[in-house]
Amino acid sequence: MPDAELPRARWLHQRIEGAGAAALAALEAAVELWRVYVATWAGIVRRVARRRAHGRPRGELARQLYSIGNRSLVFIAVTLGFIGMVMTYEACLQLARVTGDFSQVGSQFLRLIISDFGPTLTGLMLATRVGAGIAAEIGSMKVTEQIDALRMSGVLPIDYLIVPRFIASLVMTLVLAVFGAVVMYTAGGLTAKYSFGVNLGLYFDASQVRARHVVLLVIKAIAFGAAIPVVAGFCGLRARGSSEGVGWATTAAVIGGSFAVIVLDFVISAAALFVTGGDL
Amino acid sequence: MTLDEPPPGVIAGIGAGALRVAQEIGGILLLTAEVVRALVAPRIDTRELWKNLYKMGNRSVPIVVLTALFAGGLMTLQTGPFVKKFGATALAGWAAGYAVLREMGPILIALMFSGRVGANNTAELSTMTVTEQLDGLRALAIDPVGFLVVPRVLAMMVTLVALTVIGDLVALLGAAVVAHAMLDIEWSTMFHSFADNLRPFDFLHGVYKSIAFGGAIAVSSCYFGVTVRGGAVGVGRAVNAAVVAAAVSIMLLDFLLTYLTG
Amino acid sequence: MTAFIEYRDVTKAFAGKPVLRGMNLAIARGEVMFIIGTSGVGKSVTIKHLIGLLRIDGGEIWFDGRRVDRLPERALAPLRKRIGMVFQSSTLFDSMTLAENVALPLRKHQRMAWTAALDEARRRLAQVYMAEHAERYPAELSDGMRKRAAIARTLALDPEVVLFDEPTTGLDPISARRIDRLIRELAGSLGVTAVVVSHDLASTFAIADRVAFLYQGVVHVVAAPGELRASPDPIVQQFITGRSSGPMETPGF
Repeated sequence: MPDAELPRARWLHQRIEGAGAAALAALEAAVELWRVYVATWAGIVRRVARRRAHGRPRGELARQLYSIGNRSLVFIAVTLGFIGMVMTYEACLQLARVTGDFSQVGSQFLRLIISDFGPTLTGLMLATRVGAGIAAEIGSMKVTEQIDALRMSGVLPIDYLIVPRFIASLVMTLVLAVFGAVVMYTAGGLTAKYSFGVNLGLYFDASQVRARHVVLLVIKAIAFGAAIPVVAGFCGLRARGSSEGVGWATTAAVIGGSFAVIVLDFVISAAALFVTGGDL
Repeated sequence: MTLDEPPPGVIAGIGAGALRVAQEIGGILLLTAEVVRALVAPRIDTRELWKNLYKMGNRSVPIVVLTALFAGGLMTLQTGPFVKKFGATALAGWAAGYAVLREMGPILIALMFSGRVGANNTAELSTMTVTEQLDGLRALAIDPVGFLVVPRVLAMMVTLVALTVIGDLVALLGAAVVAHAMLDIEWSTMFHSFADNLRPFDFLHGVYKSIAFGGAIAVSSCYFGVTVRGGAVGVGRAVNAAVVAAAVSIMLLDFLLTYLTG
Repeated sequence: MTAFIEYRDVTKAFAGKPVLRGMNLAIARGEVMFIIGTSGVGKSVTIKHLIGLLRIDGGEIWFDGRRVDRLPERALAPLRKRIGMVFQSSTLFDSMTLAENVALPLRKHQRMAWTAALDEARRRLAQVYMAEHAERYPAELSDGMRKRAAIARTLALDPEVVLFDEPTTGLDPISARRIDRLIRELAGSLGVTAVVVSHDLASTFAIADRVAFLYQGVVHVVAAPGELRASPDPIVQQFITGRSSGPMETPGF
């Protein structure tokens, strides 16, 4: 027992205790999150092995594909379009200041979009839209005790709720990443042409794109597509209380998902840099 | 057991969606007008203002600092190899730094802020609305806009600006760390590159974007909070709508501001 | 003599479904008026209309000789200081202690300094026998206690009328009787006009001066509790004896 004579010592002790408790809580949450992830894969295996739709709502996968994919199209198009325009504008502005040579803009931008900005920005946008949606749905079900009702009728919540969303997210994030990249690049091209007079033939240039860039896009999209629903489902299942609990779950899913996207992006990019020996 | 309705006919769906978006934009603009009116009066509850400043700042600093570190590192990863290939290592700091200060910093920080503080704010306000606390305020002849919304909007804007300033600096640090650790670029090269090539204007450009972002995130977050309908389910939907609206506004404002201020 | 509060031919529909279909009710100053009826018949809606939390579709609402249903939101403040409302869910602010909750309207409307407002708030909480819980948060207290604190907050501005939305619903019988006594005391010693929406027949017959029975969107009958109990009307009889079958139409069953 620490000597609480000095108020300063006690304050420090409390601070350390608090930090320790927080670290333990974070560790516990991380372990739980990993468990949900593993359970999701187990659920997928079960789903594939079991041909008949036991405990699985009909057409749920299709509904999720629609919900995650089709309903995000406009959102992704708008957000990535705008930022594509901004990035091109900024880049051209700087080039005009320094070299005046726009010949590389299109080709370099395409490379960056494919290997990084496309999947990452799509991932960030989906972390907010899809992550919040999943956490909100599952969270509301948790606080209105529908999850318990599921368990009592012999259905695993993970199989029923998270697996279809997981599969749908994997597929759709990839599709949307490609879509987003196309929109971003095209929007950038229009900006380059109308604000800086860059020749479109010069801009639309795929010469700098290598196979490894496309591989990076696929890896990142799949990583983000896997992380977002798992984090969101995890937060949803942990919701407690009533409306406040749902609010918390949704908030946590958005931050958790966004942060996961940024960290995964960094890790994958760094790994790629290491593997290719410094040549991106 | 999903909450989505079955897919409607495509045209009808688009029409209905467009109407809904128009209605929301209208509502948000109306709320903005009310907030401005209250600010001008001035009808602000100062206790609530300080309470919110403390709460929001406290909550968001850790996540923003972490994000900024990674964002800075990312920018270096993207621009560094390219710059090195052309032997222009002296420009490495400029390349990464420029992207960070003007674009990636403010945008990523705003997005994280929207997730951490904006979503939370919507959740709080919508819980209050659903439990009739908002009606309770009106029944006591206390204007919810002046008491709840305005202090939160102000607090969010001020907090985001402060966070952007801090975050930008942390991101530059992150950029330098990654440059050193992974690209073998010297600390001094990076810092000199920052100092020589980045103008104060670049820094400020990012900061006044954050003022606009802060306003957009704050008003849309409050709007979806107070117009919520329907219990726990409604709260989830409100938070969802708020973060989506914030993301779109950030991108849209970024675009407008970049074009307008060059 | 015009009544203190008067509803004239009030109509209101929600999403096309009519809820109030020409409601007429006159309430005298200082009386305890209970509004009873089955669920969903429009009782809560009725009192919310009085202070403008909802807007009527047709008809008129009069208070103290002036028409109030058309007032814009900004003009409603004086009205809301004279008419207070205690909600069904107590609506205390979760982030404030009881004392802070009660002090809020005092600070806002009587321009008291914060410490002075808190002292006054504690005094008012004592009036509803809640003084020892003044520094606690709503979430820590039972429903009955929260209800009493909410009443204290509503009384902070000394309103002439207090509207109660199902004050005893969900409370245990002892707490419910305490609330009844409180309402009676308000009318008796402070001259407050109380309009109570309720499901609780025990409360109704214990403390009401008059009872308005809302049925199918109109006030089917308004009478003193004794007269109501002796009413020959079969619908009234079915409701007050709580029979599930009879001439009453209960939508949804």
